[in-house]
Amino acid sequence: MILKVEGLVKSFGNFEVIHHWNLTVEEGEKVVLLGPSGCGKTTFLRIIAGLEKPTEGKIEIGFERLGFVFQEPRLIPWKTVRDNLRLIEEDEGKIKTILELVKLNGFEDHFPSQISGGMKQRLNLARAMVVDPDFMILDEPFTSLDIKVKMEIMEDLMEIWEKRRFTMLMVTHDVKEAVYMGDRILILSKIPSKILREIRINFIRRDITNRDFLGMESRILRFMLE
Amino acid sequence: MRILLGLLIFFGSWLILSMMLSQSLILPTPMETFSALVEILRDSTTYSAMLSTIAKGFMILGLIIAVGLPVGFVMGLSDKIYELLRPTVMIIQSVPVISWLALVIFMWGIGWKGPVLIGFLSLLPISIFTIVEGVRSIDRDLLEMVKVYRVPKIKVFKYVYIGSLIPFIKAVVDVSVGNVWKTVLVTEFLCGDRGLGVMISWARQYVDVPRIYAITLMAVGLGIGTERIAKKLMSLTTRRWGM
Ligand SMILES: Nc1ncnc2c1ncn2[C@@H]1O[C@H](COP(=O)(O)OP(=O)(O)OP(=O)(O)O)[C@@H](O)[C@H]1O
Ligand SMILES: [Mg+2]
Repeated sequence: MILKVEGLVKSFGNFEVIHHWNLTVEEGEKVVLLGPSGCGKTTFLRIIAGLEKPTEGKIEIGFERLGFVFQEPRLIPWKTVRDNLRLIEEDEGKIKTILELVKLNGFEDHFPSQISGGMKQRLNLARAMVVDPDFMILDEPFTSLDIKVKMEIMEDLMEIWEKRRFTMLMVTHDVKEAVYMGDRILILSKIPSKILREIRINFIRRDITNRDFLGMESRILRFMLE
Repeated sequence: MRILLGLLIFFGSWLILSMMLSQSLILPTPMETFSALVEILRDSTTYSAMLSTIAKGFMILGLIIAVGLPVGFVMGLSDKIYELLRPTVMIIQSVPVISWLALVIFMWGIGWKGPVLIGFLSLLPISIFTIVEGVRSIDRDLLEMVKVYRVPKIKVFKYVYIGSLIPFIKAVVDVSVGNVWKTVLVTEFLCGDRGLGVMISWARQYVDVPRIYAITLMAVGLGIGTERIAKKLMSLTTRRWGM
């Protein structure tokens, strides 16, 4: 167990956002929380990262190094790609390795304004990778990207994961992303959100157009639309 | 080319106006002014006066940077310190120059300290409030990001704060450089013992109006010159910070 959440409630004033969540994440697992916009996904991740206090409930944390891929890239505009990583890790060798891993080598000296949206998210990902995380949080990192760029980054991320096997906790409202990335998908209701259902994905999903994939996608969609 | 034309328009209208008035007690012609200027420039004491004024100006700018930036920074970071210091800064801002002057003359008589202190105090509040504004405008998302990754404070300062503050530091330098010479001249005029302001005050006593205009021209040149240099320096440093 690397993360255990029991009876988690989060309210802002009288406004309840998270309603009694229970979940456990095992080491090396890829868990995806799938829920509509504004249901408290970011709030949940902020609580896990220690940026926000829970209103009620217990959270046990077993990880040591946290990587956080933010919803927006959150890059320092006046620092180059390399310096944005140097902020977190000084070791040039590590920086080089990670930049190659996320395919940003050759862009070390570019400023964030000089690279595309997809590359910014790659850098956001690189920053999370450079701490050599045992736990990686991803907050809808691909939602703003077009499907092709999104697929390329997700494929690369899966390849990286095969090598490093960190635990992943991702949130998204995109069913395709969830099915592609998750071993386990937790479906959330709208606000005040509850965990409605848990789905395990057991097939291999390198191809988002194959029948198993599309079948699972439509099953989840149907459930969400009910 | 445009600059030349602009200067031509300026001196042309000056010439026409002064000829229309034909009273060199109020507005001497450019020619009278230039001959007064030549005379001044021949006199070696002019240069020590000019140096004295420049030295005061740089002292004031140095003090603004040394005091205004850190104080503004701390006030921007902490609401408590802001509330504690804000009344003082606002009072400094509202005290009329003439009151400082009285105080300074009682304390030090005439000399260089008065102009420096008054110049410093009159530019300090705006500098502080500009930096406070800058600190408050720093991207919260970036600050949260460095918190998640537990980036050490010194590094956060170097990577995030300085970069965000550069436009505001630039504004402080711009405003200070733009105003420092005027303040220095006024205070020299009133409580200085050397400098261009003192020269103006003597010229006034001798009712040497062309001389006043000539010294004014020198002050204008000083203002424009330092503004240029400051701009150049700022753009060099910002390039270094990659902005
Ligand atoms: N600090 C706060 N104070 C008050 N309300 C907040 C605060 N943070 C979030 N909320 C509210 O909590 C709800 C959930 O916000 P959150 O950002 O967690 O949603 P989300 O699921 O991440 O949405 P999205 O898919 O749009 O990113 C929203 O209604 C938001 O307005
Ligand atoms: Mg969100």
